[in-house]
Amino acid sequence: MTLAIETVNLTKRYGRLTAVDRLDLNVSANTIHGFLGPNGAGKTTTIKVLVGLLKPDDGVARIFGQEVSGDNPDVRFRIGYMPELPKFPKHLKGWELLDIYGQMYGLSKQQRIDQLPKLLELVGLKGREKDQIGKYSKGMQQRLGIAQALLNEPELVILDEPSLGLDPVGMVEVRELIKGIAKEGTTVFLSSHLLFEVQQVCSHVTIINKGVALVSDTIENVEHKIRGPTTLQIEVTNLTKILVENLKKLSFVTDVKAEGNKLNIMLETRDDVRSQVSETITNSGGTILSMNLVGQSLEDVFVQLVGKAEEKEGGKNHD
Amino acid sequence: MTEKATHPSWITSFLAIVRYELLWNIRKKKLYGVVAIAFALATLELFLRVILSNVANQPLSADPNFAINTGTGIGSLGFFLFALVTVMNSISGEFESGTIVPLLTKPVSRTTVFLGKMFAAFVTLLGAFTVLLVYLALGGSAIYGPQNNLHLLPIVLLGSIVSTFVWITIILAVGALSKSSMVAALVGIGLWLGLIIVGQIFAIFSGQAWVLTYLPGTGASGYAKGIDSSTLPINMSIPTGLQVLTGTDSIGTNLVTCILHPSAEVEFYKIEFKLENHGTRYTFLYSETLSFIIARAVVTTAVYILVFSFIAWYALKRAQVAE
Repeated sequence: MTLAIETVNLTKRYGRLTAVDRLDLNVSANTIHGFLGPNGAGKTTTIKVLVGLLKPDDGVARIFGQEVSGDNPDVRFRIGYMPELPKFPKHLKGWELLDIYGQMYGLSKQQRIDQLPKLLELVGLKGREKDQIGKYSKGMQQRLGIAQALLNEPELVILDEPSLGLDPVGMVEVRELIKGIAKEGTTVFLSSHLLFEVQQVCSHVTIINKGVALVSDTIENVEHKIRGPTTLQIEVTNLTKILVENLKKLSFVTDVKAEGNKLNIMLETRDDVRSQVSETITNSGGTILSMNLVGQSLEDVFVQLVGKAEEKEGGKNHD
Repeated sequence: MTEKATHPSWITSFLAIVRYELLWNIRKKKLYGVVAIAFALATLELFLRVILSNVANQPLSADPNFAINTGTGIGSLGFFLFALVTVMNSISGEFESGTIVPLLTKPVSRTTVFLGKMFAAFVTLLGAFTVLLVYLALGGSAIYGPQNNLHLLPIVLLGSIVSTFVWITIILAVGALSKSSMVAALVGIGLWLGLIIVGQIFAIFSGQAWVLTYLPGTGASGYAKGIDSSTLPINMSIPTGLQVLTGTDSIGTNLVTCILHPSAEVEFYKIEFKLENHGTRYTFLYSETLSFIIARAVVTTAVYILVFSFIAWYALKRAQVAE
């Protein structure tokens, strides 16, 4: 398995603050890897180390096996990077910027003439390429940021909060774009605070808080590993005490809460037990009007993990 | 997209940076402001005598030295202002605006970025000064008749650029260290004022003018014996001869003077003001050949350019972009 990104014991401090704390991160090639964490978790700092803007205080970071510390253009040649809320020279026109950046990537004039219109169309900036960037909206600059990250068809694309500043339609477009990039064999490393975005787009996720990686795995495994009790929400008629007691007797039920004609049944299994529950309710004289299985989303996992980490931190401080 | 990019050669990366920087330079309003002021002053210089002769109702006399005299008169303030507007935000502005982030994450080394920016500053100055000198040469020929020594204008041009580069590297270095255009501008202005005004006053009264020779700026002031000041740039002829400045800002002017007067010798005086009789006394200090003064100024200039370029380059090379 080729690793697109690998960090070992990566540490970055700003004075007394440890922004990234002995981070071990493995991002496999040809995956879309989400990098999740609350504000100040160390996501952007980690990314800045990866693209050579910051030097680590300890540990190493590698891109496709090449160490990134120092001024290393060879490594950067393999990366397309879109910073969080990218800023480009306002005096340049969109086309000029992409053309100059393309030149920096070694694209010939003809290649640039051929590729730039496609790229502008891809990110939805066609027709605005002759405008000065100073006249672009935040969303347009974001789109330009994505375009410049894809200029050289990089092996690895690092996107730091790519949906920030985009309208809902733009966000959907970006998600589709990311999926499209990955289909062509490019590894995508995506930092986002939008959990549903990561859930919809990524195959893998690393959750980070206070510079420490809390979990790193496939989305399914992360959800599976930390999944808490699943709940069945049922609306019934003839809700009686006997019905509730019968439900409580089921081996996979941990608790039943009744409120009006609604039941919340806590399950300790991940198997589909709806038919057994349904049968018990019917046998107890009830009629089911609706039934919903409420599972734990990545968002719940995220909140749970970050919460646990903070509790632990609080406990440590308290001790 | 079908064709993959190939790893760029150094020259490709360098030219991309030069283009990036030049497009910025030529769209700087401040630069246009300074160019406009320079052109306004040149125009004033061109037409002032025409206006005065019309007012006095006297015929306009020919001046075959107009272009070379006026061309060498861009002077210290001109060099400093051109340097300031060209590079005060060249590095620091990238940090302030955040544009440094996409720039430094491209496959171009920071050394190439630095060299590209320096070269773009050179091209910008070359363009601005060339247009200015051509304007003076054409205007001078049209108004004051055929001009002498026009072949020396490229030397004036080269000298002006080299002189300006001392200020350019100082401002770049301060900007790269502070990452603030405001600090770069203020330190630059402070240094220029300090050296030009305070330094001159101190040097004159202390009799230690030679110190200025080794500092950026106009340098010490002396007088070239036996040269008629009316034929050459600066028309101050006390006690006798053409005033010669020894500093990094006077390379172009001194080169022209030296070519026209290869054996020129410059005398330096200490100025003493006598309050009792309201007079000024000049005490002879020492003399040097103009060619030696030029050679020393060139070495001093080269040292400043190299040292401050190194500081600016090192600051950029080591800079971390946290914001």
